[in-house]
Amino acid sequence: MQLRIERRMMPHVPWGLIVCVLGVCALGIWNLASASRPPMAPVWTSQALYLGVGLGAVLMVCLVDYRWIQRMAFPIYVLNILALLALRLVGHTAKGAESWFVIGPFRLQPAEFMKIGVVLMLAKVYHDDFQPNQPSYGLVRLWKPVLVVMVPFTLVLVQPDLGTALMIFLSSGTVILFGKVRWYLAATIVAGVLVGGLIIWNDYVREMPEPRTTVVRHYLKKHQSQRISGWLDPEADLRGSGYHAAQSKIAVGSGGLTGKGWREGTQTGLRFLPEQHTDFIFSVWAEEHGFFSCLLLLVLYGGIFILGLGVGFNARDRFGAFVAVGVVATLFWQVFENIGMVIGLLPVTGITLPLMSYGGSSMLSVMLCIGLLVNISMRRHMF
Amino acid sequence: MTPPTIGNTTPGRDLKRRFLWLGLAMSLGLVALAIQLYRLQLIRHEEYAAKSVANFVKEVRLRADRGVIKDARGTILVDSRPSFDAFVTPAFCTDCFEQVIPRLGELLQWDPEQRKKIEDLVRASRRNAPFQPVPVRVDLTRDEYDRLNARRDILDGVEVVPVPHRNYRADTVLSHVLGYMNEITQEELERLNGDGAKYALGDYIGRRGLERYFESKLRGQDGVRKEVVNARGQTIEELNDKLGENAVIPPTAGSNVVLSIDMRLQEEAERAFPGVTGAVVAIDVNTGFIKALVSRPGFDPNLLTGRVTPSQMATLARDPLHPMINRVAAEHYSPGSTFKVVTQLAAFKSGAFRPETVVHCSGGYRLGARVWRCHKDSGHGPLDGRGAMKASCDAWFYKVADTIGLDPIAEMGKSLGLGRPTGIGVVAEVPGIMPSSAYHDKASPGGYTKGMALNSAIGQGDDNVTPLQLALVYAAVANGGKLYKPQMVQRLENLDGQVMEEFKPEVVSKVDINPAHLKAIVEGLEAVAQEPGGTAYRAKLKSGLPADFLVAAKTGTAQVARIGTVRLKTHQMSYFERDHAWFAGFAPADKPELAVVVLNEHGGHGGVDAAPTALAVMKKYFELKAQDATSPPPRANQPYTPSLPPAPSLDEAALTRAVVPPPRVNLPGEPIQPPSETGDDSATAD
Repeated sequence: MQLRIERRMMPHVPWGLIVCVLGVCALGIWNLASASRPPMAPVWTSQALYLGVGLGAVLMVCLVDYRWIQRMAFPIYVLNILALLALRLVGHTAKGAESWFVIGPFRLQPAEFMKIGVVLMLAKVYHDDFQPNQPSYGLVRLWKPVLVVMVPFTLVLVQPDLGTALMIFLSSGTVILFGKVRWYLAATIVAGVLVGGLIIWNDYVREMPEPRTTVVRHYLKKHQSQRISGWLDPEADLRGSGYHAAQSKIAVGSGGLTGKGWREGTQTGLRFLPEQHTDFIFSVWAEEHGFFSCLLLLVLYGGIFILGLGVGFNARDRFGAFVAVGVVATLFWQVFENIGMVIGLLPVTGITLPLMSYGGSSMLSVMLCIGLLVNISMRRHMF
Repeated sequence: MTPPTIGNTTPGRDLKRRFLWLGLAMSLGLVALAIQLYRLQLIRHEEYAAKSVANFVKEVRLRADRGVIKDARGTILVDSRPSFDAFVTPAFCTDCFEQVIPRLGELLQWDPEQRKKIEDLVRASRRNAPFQPVPVRVDLTRDEYDRLNARRDILDGVEVVPVPHRNYRADTVLSHVLGYMNEITQEELERLNGDGAKYALGDYIGRRGLERYFESKLRGQDGVRKEVVNARGQTIEELNDKLGENAVIPPTAGSNVVLSIDMRLQEEAERAFPGVTGAVVAIDVNTGFIKALVSRPGFDPNLLTGRVTPSQMATLARDPLHPMINRVAAEHYSPGSTFKVVTQLAAFKSGAFRPETVVHCSGGYRLGARVWRCHKDSGHGPLDGRGAMKASCDAWFYKVADTIGLDPIAEMGKSLGLGRPTGIGVVAEVPGIMPSSAYHDKASPGGYTKGMALNSAIGQGDDNVTPLQLALVYAAVANGGKLYKPQMVQRLENLDGQVMEEFKPEVVSKVDINPAHLKAIVEGLEAVAQEPGGTAYRAKLKSGLPADFLVAAKTGTAQVARIGTVRLKTHQMSYFERDHAWFAGFAPADKPELAVVVLNEHGGHGGVDAAPTALAVMKKYFELKAQDATSPPPRANQPYTPSLPPAPSLDEAALTRAVVPPPRVNLPGEPIQPPSETGDDSATAD
């Protein structure tokens, strides 16, 4: 295990990626300073602290050769699973979900780190599994990756933390697709998405005389059904299920081209947005800074994704490539789902926006991901 | 560290292509987000900007002060006083149903029914508008206010707020004219707001009388103040600059109503009127403006405007004396002998009778097989028109009815405004009944017969008038035949006393009467009060009015129950079977100014039980007139302080007690009763 950075690694440090990450972090802290303006607690200072810790984590991850991490992938994965299991026993319950370990002043969310564990383990599986000139993955050969995904997915789902479980599912799914599957599996996935869309359209959107013939809706409980209709038409139930979605759309829409100005947002200042410094942080940004600044943020995130994929593209081995893909997919799905829910494109799930939302665990896990990317990038031409 | 194997070191070319696809897919995802952002922030920006403003701007209504009601000299009869209402804001009311409302109920002494009602109210608004305060108790008493204030700490979400409350300073006096107020109903709200008014649920609206009639004028226009509120409904004052211009639109106060009624005269009428039930109305014969108006019993508008309990409401509704009815205009009565003025006018007009026409009264008048008795069994002997009026001899008028029939009388009555509404507007009224042969053909079994004309000629039978109509008839006789529209509001003023609207006298119709006939009638009416033997002579003597002050008047005693073979004395009859005592007249007879009608319901005899009241009102009126001519006008806008003794009341037992039950000899269906004797004047029929 080597714990040093050699001179020959320096040209390969992905400065563009680091600049994008730091840029988003800086905007995030500035934005948090507005979201947590008096009389709310000024949480942006703690966020700055978490950023410092996160940068330390990046450095730590960079120091070790990722081949050591490759060997440690399985222990890391198992440790995370054990942590999730332990959570069932000693976890701190908040908002009906057991998702926290309380260690002194800190609250750790093991599910955040589970994501990395899964990515590493998947990459290891794909790395070890590789045999040249083999056809792409069929149903039988997929059992290993699927097992790796399903165990943590189930554990997180029963917490219950639907959002994080969904994130694990989507990012691992991306990795598995990236690992290439047989055409019939791909076709099944496409067909499944289409059928799901059709069912929702039939059950919730389509204008139909009563009694409507529904496919799934009558099997769902009322609150589950409400969640879907609340997503499709948040303004139908403003005080209830649609409140978050509607208020956040109002915040984003009222921002306009240039926004209302820093600390001038009324939706934010008058607390019409619940969770405004965590899940709905993007609506604060959109309300106060407007369309152009939103595009800027999207471009920065796009930069992180593209440069991150670039790291994978140039990685020296399959493990590095797959880790890069997994990490970028994790980040991408979080960004996509979070912003999508804030602007009314996707249903509301409790997902934080990487690097923007307030929260230590989130910041730390994202920084660990970034550290992995930097690590892979730096060691791409070692041999 | 194991050395890398060839197999897993270099990612293949295939992997590189997949990276490109993945990058493309992610870019597309971000583009999709950008497109939705574009739709929200640019295309639909205005819509969402408006919604965000609607989110945080709360419009607070600034209530306009309701106009006051003043008497003719500017004494304030109705105004608003500060009072305290208790509100519950459901959003701030934690443990509302377990803690707060039960405690509130204890402090305010609610019965379970009231508590249930309040709970339902709060529950409903918790769902619909949790930040909207719900009124749970209006007009707290001093004690209740103190109790609530002392226990504020345990009453989350309960607020005690000063709210102007209507204050009727005259208590029950003039209650039917002033009216009262209570909460607007849902239907009224929709109807009125549909017409452009701006009412909110929980607002008070005028009921009855002036409060109802001048509602739109008294109310004024509410203003608006905009406030910034956060998501919990708390006001955030630091952000008021976000409201821009027009953050405050001040309210416009309502107009003040100035009556033609002078409270000094009104008080005299109240004081002088001895009856438990009945009416007094004094009217200016040359303008139609009402100077005093008593309808007894009255109700307490302060009670009805405040928190009247259902049981109090039921008591009011069940009261056998019907306090809610305005007896001046909304109830009609047999006019009795006061109607003889109309009969005599009709007789003269027909040409068959002249003032000199003499009819011999032998104590009755025979028509067919039956004798209609005069109230004086021994008979008045020969009487001319003047004498008949003075003594109120029924026989003279029976003769008239026998000769000319009912229709000329009915025609005269109708031209003097009987049988139709007076058009007063401000208060509700009934048209009364002026029967004619056509009316009887339609309404009476067996149709019109002569006997009906005889009854109607002396103000019995189906004749029914309101005291107000009768006052207008006498006013028309006094002023030479002009029938005025009765009014009681002189003008509307704004807050600064400037006149907004002035009400002028209105002549409804000019009655075609020969002045010579009028003169003869007035002479007869003068004799009633000024000559010994006149039915109001004693009352005039006792009233203290100077002998040269001429009063023209007519008394009446209208029979309520059918008379048996033996006439009962008043005290022998149960209250509701006693006669109505009437007085109608005007003064001075030579230059008339004021007409007064008094109805003492179940009071007894016109000359004894009604005339003194009317004469006292007349006396006071002219005293006040002389006094005002020499003294400077009073300071306006002085609040009225009542100085009246409580109105006479009747204990409930007296209403039904009869010393001797009136014997019933005749069959109930029989229309006309054989008369008998008593009193100064009287009559027959139901």
